[in-house]
Amino acid sequence: MTSNPQSIMASSRPLSTWDRINPARYIGELSETRFWMYLLLLPSALLIMGVVIYPTLYGFQLSFREMRLNRPDLGTDWVLLKHYQRMLSDQIFWISLRNTAVWVTAAVTIEFSVGLIAALALNRNLPGTKVLAVFILLPFFLPNVVAGHMWALMLDPRLGVINDLLVKVGLLGGYKAWFADPSTAMAAAIIVEAWHSFPFFTLLLLAGLKGIPTDLYKAADIDGAGSISQLRLITLPMLKTVIAAAVILRVIGLVNSPDLLLILTSGGPGRSTQVLSLYAFQTAYKDFNFGYAGALSVIMFILLMMFAWVYVRLSKVNQD
Amino acid sequence: MATLSIKGVRKSFGSVEVLHNIDLELEDGGFLVLLGPSGCGKSTLLSIIAGLEPSSGGDVVIGERTVNDIHPKDRNIAMVFQSYALYPTMSVRRNIGFGLEMRRVDTSSREDAIGRAADLLQISHLLDRKPGQLSGGQRQRVAMGRAIVRNPDLFLFDEPLSNLDAKLRVEMRTEIKRLHDRLGTSVVYVTHDQVEAMTLGTKVAVMKGGVIQQLADPQTIYEQPANMFVAGFIGSPTMNFLNGTLENQDGKLVLHHGEETLELSGVAKGASAYVGKKVVAGIRPETFSKGAGPSALTGIVDVVEPTGPDTMVVLDVGGQMISARLGSRERPHPGEPMTLSVDTTALNLFDPETGDRI
Repeated sequence: MTSNPQSIMASSRPLSTWDRINPARYIGELSETRFWMYLLLLPSALLIMGVVIYPTLYGFQLSFREMRLNRPDLGTDWVLLKHYQRMLSDQIFWISLRNTAVWVTAAVTIEFSVGLIAALALNRNLPGTKVLAVFILLPFFLPNVVAGHMWALMLDPRLGVINDLLVKVGLLGGYKAWFADPSTAMAAAIIVEAWHSFPFFTLLLLAGLKGIPTDLYKAADIDGAGSISQLRLITLPMLKTVIAAAVILRVIGLVNSPDLLLILTSGGPGRSTQVLSLYAFQTAYKDFNFGYAGALSVIMFILLMMFAWVYVRLSKVNQD
Repeated sequence: MATLSIKGVRKSFGSVEVLHNIDLELEDGGFLVLLGPSGCGKSTLLSIIAGLEPSSGGDVVIGERTVNDIHPKDRNIAMVFQSYALYPTMSVRRNIGFGLEMRRVDTSSREDAIGRAADLLQISHLLDRKPGQLSGGQRQRVAMGRAIVRNPDLFLFDEPLSNLDAKLRVEMRTEIKRLHDRLGTSVVYVTHDQVEAMTLGTKVAVMKGGVIQQLADPQTIYEQPANMFVAGFIGSPTMNFLNGTLENQDGKLVLHHGEETLELSGVAKGASAYVGKKVVAGIRPETFSKGAGPSALTGIVDVVEPTGPDTMVVLDVGGQMISARLGSRERPHPGEPMTLSVDTTALNLFDPETGDRI
């Protein structure tokens, strides 16, 4: 494009004193350079450094130090790998690790399955699905604490409505203390967790389903693919990225949040529902052993990083 | 034998009827084009033929089977969509062979069929790519490959060229025609592009408001449109409609338009019943030629548009704009008077009240 004579004259005009000191001019010129991008990112980067990176690094260094608030006589010296060595022989750690695996695997599997069924149903746009969508999403809007207390009351051995119903329909001989029995406590907690969080999957999967063109299903109908084949060969592969993101986010949430189990069981009976996050929380805020709690958190962090890496590689999300 | 018969098909969405009593027949190996503006019901009719949309009444017969209650997969049809509808997570090879895979055709027969289709469409080198790695034209070929691989009784095309650029559209149009000539399978083709309809179809059904306005071969549709809608929809630039009164002058039919008089010869016999009444004369732009004659119009040149092979001239004739296609060397100047003679043997008369051809 050729410039008109006026613009050529304007660009060759000598700068006035005001032009030279005008900050807007410098900002304007800076915005044309590649440094502008970094400048725009700087405020959020500083914020993240302050509230995420610094505490994380502090937690890392804490795991290499003695830090017991109820034993000031031990001091706060560096102890290198002492906490990690202790972990190897700590039975509670291994029980917590196994329980975490069960807790996360079962909860994510149920939440994903129920969430997918709900999303597929809501995606059909049948009459009443909008109202149904609100009801389905309601549990997710409840805070963990509220949901936990609500279910604790519903499953209460004396007052609980669920025991009452199960006895009345004849499925149960007598009232049962679900959270007091080591054989049922974990399963009951998983069901509460799945009830509370399956809408997370519903929401994300529904958004993913809305993005799949309906023509693909018409083509598949003509090609002779039935409902199961369409789900297996079209829907799920097209939701792969959404599923990967949702599973990773949910696993991180489940591994890191002790709140529901804290309310329902506090890790009991015995250690049957003790998970790593709860163990780390109790080690820090009941035993006041921040060094060991820090080491437990570091292990959780590493496990989550490894899980995310392996999962993304296995699901081949990067290839699309 | 008719490959496709549509008998009294209706379709309603709630209280709104979008297809009214459609009757169609397509002979074996024919190429039927459903042509019409957006919202005329042509894609809905195609979906009913495919079985993707249930009809509200009437019968769809493919071959000798009434397929009203038969699932799309069992109708032995293949469809090419406007969006191509290629499965994005599958390779081109699997896309093409998907219909065979679902029908449990063994791997070696499937590979043979995929190979033949890919060779025919010249996409053998693309078989291991994903649809996202292909250009628009290549995707179009893959979509056609998926359709032809199963040897269906009927191909259905739903505006397959709409997403391509102008040059590619012309190339692919030729490709589709060549493919039809080679395979000989019957085709139902939906488009709103009259050039596609005229060049591809052995039969064209012009639709408006859920009703077939005319069903005929392309030349008949062009030369003898059933009504003013068909006449105006087909042809670019569109047909000129000149309002006037039909008179009998010394035993000859003439059309009076303001101060202009057109001597009509070769118009339909039924026209004499309209003597003394108002009619609309439909004149194609290419039936004009420069110079005076017994049937001529004089007007003031308004716009001149040289297109290369032709020169389009817009003429103001008594306040009505008339488009004429003249030779490329004609260069009249806007504002100057011009006389054009009309080949009245190619002229159509319409009833101004019903819009039907006289």
